Amino acid sequence: MSGRTVFLDGRAVTLAEQPLKGGGQAAVFPVEGDAGIVVKIYRETPGADQERRLTRMLTMSPLAARPTDANQPPELAWPTAIARGADGEFLGYAMRRFGEPQHVQLVGLFTRVQRLKLFPGRADWRFLLGIAWNLAFMTARMHYDNLVIGDFSSSNVVVDANGFVTFLDCDSIAFTDPVTGELFPCLMHTTDYSSPERQAGGPATRESDNFALAVLIYQLLTAGNHPFGGVPHESASESTVKDNIAASISYVVRPEMVVIPRGTVDPSVLPPELLTLARAAFGPGVQAPAARPPAEAWLRALDKERGQVRACTVRPLHTYGSHLPTCPWCTRAAVTGHDVFNGPRPTHAHVPVPPPDQDPSPYAALKVLAVVMGVVLLIVLLTNL
Amino acid sequence: MHSEYPPTMPAEYADIEFENNAQRMPLVLCLDTSSSMAGAPIQALNNALAEWTRELHDDVSLSYSVEVAVVTFGGQGVGAWRGPQLLDPRTRVSPFIPAHAFQAPQLTAAGVTLMTEALELSMHIVAARKAELRASGLQYYRPQICLVTDGLPTDPTGHLTDSWHRLVPVLEEEQRARRFRLYAIGVGGITDMGEQVLRAFAPKFNARLQGFPFRELLQMMSASANAEQKGAGDEVFEKIFSQFKTQRPAWEA
Repeated sequence: MSGRTVFLDGRAVTLAEQPLKGGGQAAVFPVEGDAGIVVKIYRETPGADQERRLTRMLTMSPLAARPTDANQPPELAWPTAIARGADGEFLGYAMRRFGEPQHVQLVGLFTRVQRLKLFPGRADWRFLLGIAWNLAFMTARMHYDNLVIGDFSSSNVVVDANGFVTFLDCDSIAFTDPVTGELFPCLMHTTDYSSPERQAGGPATRESDNFALAVLIYQLLTAGNHPFGGVPHESASESTVKDNIAASISYVVRPEMVVIPRGTVDPSVLPPELLTLARAAFGPGVQAPAARPPAEAWLRALDKERGQVRACTVRPLHTYGSHLPTCPWCTRAAVTGHDVFNGPRPTHAHVPVPPPDQDPSPYAALKVLAVVMGVVLLIVLLTNL
Repeated sequence: MHSEYPPTMPAEYADIEFENNAQRMPLVLCLDTSSSMAGAPIQALNNALAEWTRELHDDVSLSYSVEVAVVTFGGQGVGAWRGPQLLDPRTRVSPFIPAHAFQAPQLTAAGVTLMTEALELSMHIVAARKAELRASGLQYYRPQICLVTDGLPTDPTGHLTDSWHRLVPVLEEEQRARRFRLYAIGVGGITDMGEQVLRAFAPKFNARLQGFPFRELLQMMSASANAEQKGAGDEVFEKIFSQFKTQRPAWEA
């Protein structure tokens, strides 16, 4: 069992037997007796440059000057200590734990099943817009601090119940050491969020972050749709998101180029200013990095919309941009039978249609039920005090 | 196609999920359920499948795009399962189920080892699924097929056969064209000859393991699916596989 002991600043800790998550490069382990931290262990002995990188990172405290609300978790899962073996060899590093169920990967917001399971009663468009704002803010702040995220995807950003975001894989961030001038590049990337120049092997830049940010914001505002989804009409048999990015084929800009999956949300749910930014990023911005809107541009546009979100009066969890005259989610549910935010209603095939003088909302009963359950819960809580 | 669904099929099992345009990741588990697997091994496999299913449901990243189909070879022949339900061979219903809705089948072990036919069926359902997805405008990652066996290919009468040789050039071409990634895993008392067959099927991703470490095997499939989603290079898959093959926990690496 000695193989599971590592040293954090000289303090011996025992890693759990099973990692939380293992990839090709590293595995993240909980620590026995300390639920607050996790330790990332590299699978292959990392080079001296990686050790230097982490040593430098420990002396930095990016985004620290920002006043945050006490409820807000840090925006970066920054390294807190280097993990070493018994002979002092470099193995990995410790960081604060941002685990489930309190912290969920962004991808958990991209399907209805997961939204309902992981963010019950709160994952509406307003919530998604707020997360987009937080992401744009985090990106802008990191760029301001001369940090390039580099590997920016729906898997390495987590969200909490209030919509606050935390970036997890800080050891891959690209930065230049302010003291020695040494450049630490980002060697990782996730193809579905990689701009063409990154796919071609180019370095991570603010512009490549801006590309990934645009994709993530677009996915949030359309409840999960990737802007480079769809199969081109004239394509080789294997076609992927990566191929569409490389070929600059986005249905947001050129819908005529692809077979669009029938469940795809229409880009017009984006308010005009945000749609203009998306079209810049997924049109000219694909091949021309400078044409991609920077994080501050997204932030300004998102900020404007936050105060104007409309709420639907017919169905719960239906909120939408003020540019739309009617609820787009109700329209979609009426046309397709699929409600993006609410689960399928229990089917009562033999129950007669209620007479018109009753509450027309099929959710009225659910609301009553929710109130009753809330009261019951309150009573239970009070009696236990 | 909808009219062909058995009337009992619940709505969430609809053929292609309406809601998201996520790039799909088809995954086929091609499992030996012949008589040599009877008893403790098949029980271990069922338990591991149930546990993996829970992990899959809890993995937000995988459950976003993975679709699972199960193919078994045992009894009188081969079969495709749609979750817990064994499909009629004549049906056109796809055996693939989105990960979040996947439920593990309860497998029993008996009969012959039609390994060749099972791999052919696996390739067939993968090709059919790709065509369905494409027609719907949905993209896909490179599918994974995972063959697990403790024996040697037989004919329908249970006699050893060389018919598997016909598969070798086909698999070679399919894998060269990156149409899927095949993992061929020998477990339990698999013989040297059995191992040779697996090596011929999957020159890079074959292994002979002690006992029945199905849980680790399924976790390796998840890790590979994750790497595929991330767009990892071949060397990452080889690393994940060699990690698994040596049955070492990550912290001993």
